[in-house]
Amino acid sequence: MRVQLFGTCLVDSFFPEVGEATLKLFRRFGVTAVFPKGQTCCGQPAFNAGYADDARAVAAHFLSVFDGDAPIVTPSGSCAAMVKHHYPDLFRTDPVLHAKAERAAGRIYELSQFLVRFLRAHESGLAGKGTVTYHSSCHLARSLGVRDEPLILLQSMKGVRFIPMPDASRCCGFGGTFMAKLPEISCALAEEKADSIVATGADTVTGCDAGCLMNIGDAMKKRANPVQVRHIAQVLAEEL
Amino acid sequence: MSDVQTSLTFRANAARAIKDAPLRSAMRQAADTFGAKRADAFAPVADLEALRDKASTLRLQVLDRLQEYEEMFASRATRAGATVHRAKDADAAREIIAGILKDRSAKTVVKSKSMVSEEIHLNAHLEKAGMEVLETDLGEYIIQLVGETPSHIIVPAIHKNRRQVGRLFAEKLGVEYTEDPQVLTKIARRTIREKFLNADAGLSGANFAAAASGSLVLFTNEGNGRMVTTVPPLHIAILSLEKMIPSLADLPTFIRLLPRSATGQSITSYVSVITGTRKPGEATGAKELHIVMLDNGRAEILSGECREILKCIRCGACMNVCPVYRTVGGHSYGWTYPGPMGIVLTTLLTGMAKSHPLVDASTLCGACDEVCPVRIPLVDLFLKLREQRVREGFSKPMEKRGMRVFGKVAASPSLFSAGQFLSRTFWPLVRAFGGKDVAGRLPGPAKVPFHRRVP
Amino acid sequence: MTSPDLLRRFLENAGNAAAGTHAVSDAPGLRRVLSGIVPGTDPVFCPGLTDKEKAAAAALPCRAVDYAGATATVEEVYGAIAETGSLVCVSSGGRAVQAGLLPAHHVAIVSRERIFATLDDCFASFAEGLPTNITLVTGPSRTADIELTLAIGVHGPEKLDIIVF
Repeated sequence: MRVQLFGTCLVDSFFPEVGEATLKLFRRFGVTAVFPKGQTCCGQPAFNAGYADDARAVAAHFLSVFDGDAPIVTPSGSCAAMVKHHYPDLFRTDPVLHAKAERAAGRIYELSQFLVRFLRAHESGLAGKGTVTYHSSCHLARSLGVRDEPLILLQSMKGVRFIPMPDASRCCGFGGTFMAKLPEISCALAEEKADSIVATGADTVTGCDAGCLMNIGDAMKKRANPVQVRHIAQVLAEEL
Repeated sequence: MSDVQTSLTFRANAARAIKDAPLRSAMRQAADTFGAKRADAFAPVADLEALRDKASTLRLQVLDRLQEYEEMFASRATRAGATVHRAKDADAAREIIAGILKDRSAKTVVKSKSMVSEEIHLNAHLEKAGMEVLETDLGEYIIQLVGETPSHIIVPAIHKNRRQVGRLFAEKLGVEYTEDPQVLTKIARRTIREKFLNADAGLSGANFAAAASGSLVLFTNEGNGRMVTTVPPLHIAILSLEKMIPSLADLPTFIRLLPRSATGQSITSYVSVITGTRKPGEATGAKELHIVMLDNGRAEILSGECREILKCIRCGACMNVCPVYRTVGGHSYGWTYPGPMGIVLTTLLTGMAKSHPLVDASTLCGACDEVCPVRIPLVDLFLKLREQRVREGFSKPMEKRGMRVFGKVAASPSLFSAGQFLSRTFWPLVRAFGGKDVAGRLPGPAKVPFHRRVP
Repeated sequence: MTSPDLLRRFLENAGNAAAGTHAVSDAPGLRRVLSGIVPGTDPVFCPGLTDKEKAAAAALPCRAVDYAGATATVEEVYGAIAETGSLVCVSSGGRAVQAGLLPAHHVAIVSRERIFATLDDCFASFAEGLPTNITLVTGPSRTADIELTLAIGVHGPEKLDIIVF
């Protein structure tokens, strides 16, 4: 099976280890992952802030890089949601790009979604260690409807004890540009999320979106006994 | 009571509210309680999604033919004995209502909860005209006594704890201090009962207006809505245009959705359907009923791209699940309507110039969309308003420039790589420039970006 | 839905809303229930217009002239709704709906045959020319405005009893 890997700008710039863990997972499941050269960003930062023209420029570039029919897989719920739900409408006045956008929207998947649905990774004896809890990112759960797949994967891991988090689907306060515009509120929400995480007693908190994890990591830094923050790709690929 | 809109200082309002521990605790408790109650209340409801679809369709049906329904309502209500007035804006509505009261030498007015009356600052206007206006909804009564504005559309005094209410009653009503809510409620019952029985007029809002029969519908729990609309000889009802439903046959859908969405009750203690004035041979009903239909900007919203906000039935469910609202409380939004629906309605009714910071008051988490009983696409509306803000020139020039640069850099692989190199090299500068608020919270850029590690 | 199911559902939902619920099948039964829930010394208002109201009135030793000064009102209402456990009180026939609002205790008699299955059935029962006031009453008055703590008995009745007859 061949897929196109969309790393995302956050992973590319700040968390390359997440990209590496994702590649390890594809290798483990016999998937040929192509990394289309020249990829950058999905355009969310501009789109969410109301700059549709600037977002369109970035999205058009994405569509030119991610051509073809292979599934596009990305370790980010919000980026997958951006392409799936907003790209077609962004290009509603341009028939050629609109058609490309529709095709991309129809073949993009978030990583855990892809692992469960197409690779049955939860039946393949993944292993790890320690106790882990899970933060359910907003776009992943509400836009893409991916709520169970990450849990299914984590609970299938030999050697890993999964502990559910109270209010797992409450927003962590990242919200992309929100973090920069309303940092007081963002921090307050991150603190509440950190409280929920610490209350589980788990040694690791994981999730599918680097943005959320970055925000949670920042709140965790201030804690006496910080919980380790890792992307689900890193948790799943632990012993590969 | 401050009538000045403070939405422009949303960020500062919020920062202050965050430091207010009792307020945060109260907001958290309210959100958690209502959230859980709503979930419990809808659990036994078969096919909630179909109900929401139906409600959304009914509201859109009215919005699509608003003028027609408005005329139908007016003529049927008039036939039933009411006098219907149309008010283009807040000034007109205030003048109409003050005029009716003055004509009948009405001095004391008892009032049941109406968000629209807050929107047009009606109480202050009537008080200036020499009338006594008494809020009778317990939460509104409390904040009237203390001189504040509501912080939540369903439970206006949620930000006050029992000790604060106890002290308030002791001070303002001269009763012995108690912090027992049951006793405090009985005190309010006694004090306000007298006013009901002697008031010259009753002033109410309406949750819905059924066009086919010209009926007003009120959902209440306390009984004050019933008192206000049946005891005094004169009843004035004010409601905004978009509150209509086609007919009473459509009311059950909203009875099934509104109380559950608002407080988790399967139905409020009272649902009153008021059709015109007291008819010959009847012993119930106001002798005189005036219905004021308020536009105040709604017709304009109707013709715009955010028209779906007019489906709102004021249940408060969106507020109860909003992570921002639970953190900052209602007053931070600076105007009558807070929370997710407040972001949209406030910006549209008062204008970008007075409200633009509100459009950022969301992480776009989508929790509100999940619970809105009439399927208002709130997140989509936030995004539309953010685009509108840029178009109307209310975004910071530096942000605009920054986004332009982003658009160019992220559309060009070589510029993107160069940008990564520069921020890596000059990260300490980026931190200083971006401030501790942003760059301070980010980890440093990786030495080797992912795209250089891929074989 | 069969009549016994309807009745059971109505009583259950009304009970969940903190109404006292009773079912009787004859006038003596009605009088027994009334003597249990309405203290003999309190002035009770009863319109005495319908047969069932007349039967009830016979059991009330202290009759108030008007609902304004009464501690309780005992009256027959238009109907009830099983779906929500609600009473349907209307202003037609010269009824003062306020009689069930002002006194602290409201005792409502409703006929078995007047229990609607759903809200839709209730609203469909009104032909052209609606009464001025239709009020669905579910339980006593209440509020949670102070710290979200439930307090029963605000401006409306503090106690509601329903007698299905």
